[in-house]
Amino acid sequence: MMQITLTVNGVTKALTVEPRRLLADVLRHEFGCYGVRFGCSHGACGCCTVHVDGQPRLSCIAFAVQCDGMSIATIEGMPKDGALHPLQQAFIAEHALQCGYCTPGFIMALAPFVERGTDPTDTEIRDAMSGNICRCTGYDGIVAAIRRAIGERKRVDSD
Amino acid sequence: MTDRTPHQPRFVGARILRLEDPRLVSGQARHVDDLVLPGMLHLRLVRSQLAHATLASIDVSALHAGFPDALVFTGQDIGALGIRANSDLPSVQPCVQPILARERVRFVGEPVAAVLTTDSYSVEDAAETVFVDYDALPVLADIETALAPGAPAMFENWRGNLFIEQSRTGGDIAAARARARHVIRRTYRNQRQAGVPMECRGVIAALDPTGRILTVWSSTQIPHLMRTYLAQELNWQENRIHVIAPEVGGGFGVKGHVFAEDVLVAWLAIRTRRPIKWIEDRREHLIASIHAREHVHVLEAYVTAEGKILGLKADITVDVGAYSVWPFTAASDPGMVAKVLPGPYDIAAYEATYRAVATNKCPIGTYRGVGRPAAVFSQERLMNEIAIELGIDPITLRERNLIGQFPYTNILGYTYDKGSYAESLVKIRELVAPDVERARKPEKPHIRIGVGLALFLEQTAHGTPDFVRRRSPIETGYESAKVEMHPDATVSVDSGLQCHGQGHETTFAQLVADQLGILPADILVRHGNTVTSPYSVGTWGSRGITLGGGAAHRAAGIIRDKLIAIAAQHLQARPETIELADRQARVKGDPTRAIGVETLARWAQRNVENLPPGMEPGLIAISFVDGPPDGSYTNAVHAAVVEIDLSTGQIKLKRFVVVEDCGTIVNPMIVDGQVRGGVVQGIGSALWEHFVYDKDGQPLTTNFADYLLPSAPGLPDIEVHHIQTPSPVTPLGMKGLGEGGAIGPAAAIANAVENALGVPVQETPITPSRVWELIKKRKPIAAGGV
Ligand code: FES
Ligand code: FES
Repeated sequence: MMQITLTVNGVTKALTVEPRRLLADVLRHEFGCYGVRFGCSHGACGCCTVHVDGQPRLSCIAFAVQCDGMSIATIEGMPKDGALHPLQQAFIAEHALQCGYCTPGFIMALAPFVERGTDPTDTEIRDAMSGNICRCTGYDGIVAAIRRAIGERKRVDSD
Repeated sequence: MTDRTPHQPRFVGARILRLEDPRLVSGQARHVDDLVLPGMLHLRLVRSQLAHATLASIDVSALHAGFPDALVFTGQDIGALGIRANSDLPSVQPCVQPILARERVRFVGEPVAAVLTTDSYSVEDAAETVFVDYDALPVLADIETALAPGAPAMFENWRGNLFIEQSRTGGDIAAARARARHVIRRTYRNQRQAGVPMECRGVIAALDPTGRILTVWSSTQIPHLMRTYLAQELNWQENRIHVIAPEVGGGFGVKGHVFAEDVLVAWLAIRTRRPIKWIEDRREHLIASIHAREHVHVLEAYVTAEGKILGLKADITVDVGAYSVWPFTAASDPGMVAKVLPGPYDIAAYEATYRAVATNKCPIGTYRGVGRPAAVFSQERLMNEIAIELGIDPITLRERNLIGQFPYTNILGYTYDKGSYAESLVKIRELVAPDVERARKPEKPHIRIGVGLALFLEQTAHGTPDFVRRRSPIETGYESAKVEMHPDATVSVDSGLQCHGQGHETTFAQLVADQLGILPADILVRHGNTVTSPYSVGTWGSRGITLGGGAAHRAAGIIRDKLIAIAAQHLQARPETIELADRQARVKGDPTRAIGVETLARWAQRNVENLPPGMEPGLIAISFVDGPPDGSYTNAVHAAVVEIDLSTGQIKLKRFVVVEDCGTIVNPMIVDGQVRGGVVQGIGSALWEHFVYDKDGQPLTTNFADYLLPSAPGLPDIEVHHIQTPSPVTPLGMKGLGEGGAIGPAAAIANAVENALGVPVQETPITPSRVWELIKKRKPIAAGGV
């Protein structure tokens, strides 16, 4: 057992965990972040993506003890002041989800891409999605959602 | 139909954003794995490591020494419980899949022992210590080995290794052959696949404190069927079993079965009197849920000089693996091919023999399209090969064989309601004309462009007679809904369907809102729960919107009539002059004579003294809608444009175009989404997905690095076009569409590759190495493409 401290969506907790406990399991069961999902548990589908110190990371292939002292954001932390993140809104507007199981992973993986201030082509958007699998949508809606969220960001930036 | 909405539909046909999405995009949805119950035990299965073996012994001494609190159960403890999925067609050889293997194991991954501890990590450690001693048996790893003379029989009392062998015939095939100018015979193969919803399967079962009620939470597409099966197998009263499918992360048919694990978890909950949780991991899902496809079809077409097909003979063999699945049985895939091969063509003589071969692999079950992706691959490849052999343009050849008039009864006696087969061909020809031009004059010497298409039907919303003919445990084809308006005029809709991405919470609300003159946001659609909904056979077979939606529409119609009757008395108007809209009941053309729906709803339940004399209180209605006897036929044509690099064998999908006709569209956004998602699964079947076993029956593609799913890079946008031909035989003219997208791509892409290279494609997946083999056989193409 090891003592660690994690800050998840702004809440800091000291925990005693087995070294082998996956970050995903700790986020789910210690912090109640059930939006963190397992799709493969071997780092190949992106369902479990969270932000560790601001960077998208796969929580199914990280141990919680590796993240001691770090700050983690999950899908539950994405809305600000009660409003969904623009990418969350764009997912709804563009029908970028069906069962929705993969959706938190896509949003966490791609929110930084949307926010980074460039104007990508569709090919670049699809390449940025390469680490995430969606079995339902065929991806077109997700591409459109990312495109819409980038458009929204540019509109806000130029205001 | 008499059940058209009496006023202009406001929401049916509109692009309404989905009501279920806010919880899904914000991580608030709750799946089986998110449920934690006090005192819960976690289950880990010890699974067979050999494809075929007798179980010599199971040694649990190390388990007891290392994990004194762990519980372990084997086939000896659980006894004769099993999955019994046998149709009563004459040639069927029955079998039972034991819930935990007893004397023998028949595929890698078959459950052998159940280990329980209080923690999901320690239970894996504990299960590792169970030592199983196997005596290997000869492995039936493929169709040839299983059917070879002298091959050991898979089950006791079996002769040979066929679950079923049947034929279906119509017309005079000998005469067709005698009259034919050309006999064209080809063999086509489709590979074994896995279905792969992103959420793996999961089951939790718990007794209530009295021990009388068993609640099962399962990621199932068929909650009521699961309840019925569990009641039969566990010998429990059905009213004391509650099955709840919470949020389910995709299914695609995979979760439309009752699995050994479902029965096991329920049995363990009763036996231990503790809540039991089992969550499948991805490797288990890939090797031991269900697989799909693995077909070999030998087709023989008897064709006139002009290209008219006089007769079609088919020999259909499917490697269905080790057991028959409930409720669809081992006959499902081959039987479906034999049923649908005539497709949209007017063929006067037909003879099909189909068989399901038992092998030492994961059982084959239903996966999006069920047999039809393979059937359409063979049918539409054959059309192209006939066209090329006869020197006829492939679209013209199809047009010469197309059904012209509706309703049309095909050679097997199935009546097609109404479609737009010819129109869809005209439309696709226009849409891909520029690509056909480019294919004729490639710009770079080492690049070849090809255009291919697939025309097909999708039988949807099958009615009861279709299942009675199959004689499988499904038995019935109706669907149901309960609609209740509350005193504040909000509405609950309870559907026995289970929604795992189809958007029922939105589309059903659209249907009901139009009936009741309220807004979709006033309506809460609940599903996947046997406690709240009337009986249902579940979400599969492209039946949800037509039958489940149709039932919600009709049940809401009963409430509408009652609201109008109450309003008619109050407004002193004839009922037929009253419409419900904008949350009001009002006299058409006289906006001053109106009363709020909320007032009517309140009177019907709280101030019943205001009701017309003799009217019963309450605003609740249940409707059951059976499918048309032969279903309703959605049609579509898919076109693929590929670019092949002759120097490397690399294949790029440049365009994918769909023209589809699912009758009345309730929500075009959701229809497009279903089509696109299905198409990309079909592209996966065509190009990448292949579940591979070695000759010892060991699975080789057990993770997402080896089992290749489509991902976003390298896919084109899927272009979707619609024609709407409402069905005359379903509520509102709706037809199903959930599976169609996945049915056409393998055929369309293979035809495009043939068009690019001038070499026929007889097998999927069309991997770069297979393309490379085709390039080596290349010769200039005979007929100039589409
Ligand atoms: S669950 Fe972590 S990548 Fe698939
Ligand atoms: S929406 Fe179901 S897996 Fe992506």
